Amino acid sequence: MARRASPAASIAGLIGAALLAGCAGEPPAAARGRSLVQAHGCGACHVIPGVPGARGRAGPSLEAVGRRAYLGGVVPNSREGMARWLAQPRHADPGTAMPDLGLTVAEAEAMAAYLSMLR
Amino acid sequence: MRPILLALLVALAAAGGGAAVVGFGVYDVSAINQHTGPVYWVLDIAMNRAVATRSTPVPEADEEASRRGLALFRDHCVQCHGAPGVAPQPFALGMTPVPSNLVATAREWDAARVHWVVERGLKMTGMPAWRYRFTAQQLRDVTAFVMRLPELTPMRYRELAAAAPAPAAPADPAQRPGDPQRGREAFRQYGCASCHRVMRISGARQHVGPPLDGLAQRRYLAGMLPNTEENLVRWIRFPQQVDPRSAMPDLGVGPQRARDIAAFLQTLE
Repeated sequence: MARRASPAASIAGLIGAALLAGCAGEPPAAARGRSLVQAHGCGACHVIPGVPGARGRAGPSLEAVGRRAYLGGVVPNSREGMARWLAQPRHADPGTAMPDLGLTVAEAEAMAAYLSMLR
Repeated sequence: MRPILLALLVALAAAGGGAAVVGFGVYDVSAINQHTGPVYWVLDIAMNRAVATRSTPVPEADEEASRRGLALFRDHCVQCHGAPGVAPQPFALGMTPVPSNLVATAREWDAARVHWVVERGLKMTGMPAWRYRFTAQQLRDVTAFVMRLPELTPMRYRELAAAAPAPAAPADPAQRPGDPQRGREAFRQYGCASCHRVMRISGARQHVGPPLDGLAQRRYLAGMLPNTEENLVRWIRFPQQVDPRSAMPDLGVGPQRARDIAAFLQTLE
């Protein structure tokens, strides 16, 4: 059903993933962010283009999260806002199921650099 | 063969010209200027023919219906359409097309067509579909009043409008299980498509909130509620109660409509 519903998106995702995996245009911060996203298991809860095995369904898909206006439905989306949200989601929204992962500021910034590129 | 070839070339040139007008942004879409003469002519015919063909007769309305309709008209229609002796609000005058003077409409159209447009609206004119704001009875009432407009002097309208009580709030009791088909229509009618992408709904391409494709498989709603039917209905109706920090607004969705929308969303796998 999902496959049938969004062939265009899947193709776009594949192309995006291929481009990112190719590392041709990927800034070093984003590349580091991508491995951090993988290492911290974000894919256990989220579908994340470009991250192998990221097919979690607890939270929303992070497809095009760079274009999203709000993160967690609460935080206006910007690179800095996303880094803060990743570092301390429960600071922004105490009720959220998104856990604090104990990221350092630098780690959160690198992950935001990667995720912001998902458009 | 040659006439066929010629026809093909003409068709190609026309298609190319059309594509160029679209692609280079040639056409003036501003509300300052009306459509060009030929475009207006075609659209006007298309609108009139569609309404005439699709509308079905409505029952004869009594005096009481038109009296109830007056209060609805005063509270929901005058702002854009004006009334005898009453101008539309300034914002409405900036719309293109300027909302019709309904005295003229009522003189030229029958009640069936007026009812059809009130209920379903007209896309890209600014005329909303009132099906989700009024009850079936209210749709008939407001139609009945519009049809009486040409008989009213401006003075009489003013007196009646001043005296009419506030209209009763429409009720939407939950009476049946959610219906995905109706939910799909309600999804659009409550503005969900302005913020959420759903691949199978044309025009639902925004990323203000998360995409709702795959919602059926999501474990949490709004990042905090377990994804059950009851929670989904609650979240759709009272997002600000669930999470006061949320950007998702309370859209005034009634219980039955919320059930329908929830049923539709649960079909998104």
